[in-house]
Amino acid sequence: MKAEGPQLEMLTRRLAECPTDFLLDPRIGSSGLIPVAAVVSDLIRDLSGKTPTAQEMATFQKSGDRKLYNYLSTVLVVCWLLNDPWFRSRSQFAPAALRFLSNELIEIASTTPVRKFTSDPDRREELVRRCLKEIGLRPSGESIVQAQDRLTTLNTIERQQVIRAAREAEARAQKIRQEMAAKRAAAESDAKAMRE
Amino acid sequence: MAGGFHNKNLFPLLSEEGHRLLQWLHEHKYAPHYTHPGCDRLTAEGLEKVRAFEAELDSPQQSRRNGEMPDWLKEHVETCYRDVPFYRRSGSAPSNFTSIPTTNRRDLSREPWAFVPDSQPLNDLVIYQTSGTTGHPLDVLTHPTPLAMYLPLLRTALAMHGVKLEGHCGRVSIILVCFQKSTYTYASISPVLNQAGLVKINLNPADWRDISHMAKFLDACDPEIYTGDPISFAELSRLPLQTRPKAIVSTAMTLLPGRRHRLEQHFGCPVIDIYSMNETGPIAVWLREAHVVLQKRLYIEVLDRDGFSCPSGVHGEVTVTGGFNPFLPLLKYRTGDWARLAFHGTQVLLEGLEGRPPVIFRGRRGQPINNIDVSTVLKPLLLVQYSLHQNRDDSLHLRVHGRIQDQNRLRDIIISLFGEGQRLFVEEVDSLPAAGKILQYSRDDE
Repeated sequence: MKAEGPQLEMLTRRLAECPTDFLLDPRIGSSGLIPVAAVVSDLIRDLSGKTPTAQEMATFQKSGDRKLYNYLSTVLVVCWLLNDPWFRSRSQFAPAALRFLSNELIEIASTTPVRKFTSDPDRREELVRRCLKEIGLRPSGESIVQAQDRLTTLNTIERQQVIRAAREAEARAQKIRQEMAAKRAAAESDAKAMRE
Repeated sequence: MAGGFHNKNLFPLLSEEGHRLLQWLHEHKYAPHYTHPGCDRLTAEGLEKVRAFEAELDSPQQSRRNGEMPDWLKEHVETCYRDVPFYRRSGSAPSNFTSIPTTNRRDLSREPWAFVPDSQPLNDLVIYQTSGTTGHPLDVLTHPTPLAMYLPLLRTALAMHGVKLEGHCGRVSIILVCFQKSTYTYASISPVLNQAGLVKINLNPADWRDISHMAKFLDACDPEIYTGDPISFAELSRLPLQTRPKAIVSTAMTLLPGRRHRLEQHFGCPVIDIYSMNETGPIAVWLREAHVVLQKRLYIEVLDRDGFSCPSGVHGEVTVTGGFNPFLPLLKYRTGDWARLAFHGTQVLLEGLEGRPPVIFRGRRGQPINNIDVSTVLKPLLLVQYSLHQNRDDSLHLRVHGRIQDQNRLRDIIISLFGEGQRLFVEEVDSLPAAGKILQYSRDDE
């Protein structure tokens, strides 16, 4: 966060206007359309002029695991974000961008559906700020303290939302388990016409 | 078991004639000891939904060419990702259906509550505990309305064989026959069948006051059809029945052609095989050369191990999306059964379906032991997955996936079922065969 980056609004607007091509399904095994490793590779080349190694791209071309869908989709959105001319023109963010895409983004994508990073204003801002922070920047016009405070606030809001959603989900699951227990105790048999 | 049939909560739409029939089924001098009060719980609103479901089944079939997706599928996927905790955890719904991860019995077995949509009211929840013939015991959550929807599907399947399930008021339409050490049995009345009777019985002599009562009671009921599995029908065919049903409907296990032929000869009626699962209800009915898919809102694929559609003519795992149980909206659910997908006119076909073969084990005294009984006695042990094989010398080989918590208890349970002196070899394994469906029960001579 030591250096000033681009304007926050410019980047959140860029996310809001993310082209459909970056929101198509990532290729996982032989399903999906967009080859994520190729998109990341293009980004890294645009940011540094160097082609990344196959080893560096391995995270983005794991075969077959459709459970990576949300993460890989989020990678595509971040590739769009970091492909902004502001980053490209400075030719210094490739290593940090690759680290962010390969590591921190996994956790970020585990709690937020990818569509929210483009459609929900708070999630847009959070993604932009996290992205800037991980590549050593803060939004233009903000002090380090201001940038940290705002990110903490967004993180807190997000964390509270996640905690609230988890609590609600657990309460609902608990209610269903209680109903199941009550049903078992009732020892009635609902008629069904055949065995299965 | 008498009593419960006066309770309006158990039979909200019970008519006077239905009540009389229910009373007759309970008080008949040859009636079995029912283990549980039967119930139907179908409300007027539920009955309306069942009628609408039936009308949709009767409407002209929409054609589905290979690769074509039905109109309702996109909305179903979006609803699942928005409203169902299990799917929501994956993030956003992929725009391409093939990108959606598959689910399986293990997912459902671990947390059945996570498949219940947030918007689904929990009134009148019903639980079906399956015996785990594919290796994972399972609680399936459902509701009286989808359970009643089995009947229109059954009617459709029977109609394909030229049999009309009429459901006359005051008579028994369906008897579900079991042959197990123990199972739930009950008498019920169905408003979908115009207040006709639906009875579940067990041909285990322990369920009857006298063994001779079985045939006498079944003749007195004179049902339109019997449903059950190949093992229970083999037992049924030993009874000196005077009456004959319009059809016999076999489910739950593979019905081998030889058995079907023998049963058809014995009962003088069609013996119809229906492919059905607790998770989905009836899926398809055997007709001539293949199983014809019955449900209109069940999208069927045949996938390889990596989740990709198998080319035409290639065997793969039957994988289903949709269904009519609001407590269990399915999304690419791997059934554990294997078949080839084919299309004939407007029909979707499953060819070469490999289902669950029935196995009769032999106990120490030579007594037959149904594989369902093995599943039932092992259920409390919560084994993740297992297979049981009986060797030619009658010794047993039980292979269990992972660690067994209490091997002595497991041994005691099996030996008490098979008889003192039963030889049993128990093995803990890291994995059971994954190729195709696990053959959970087998004998050297089958």
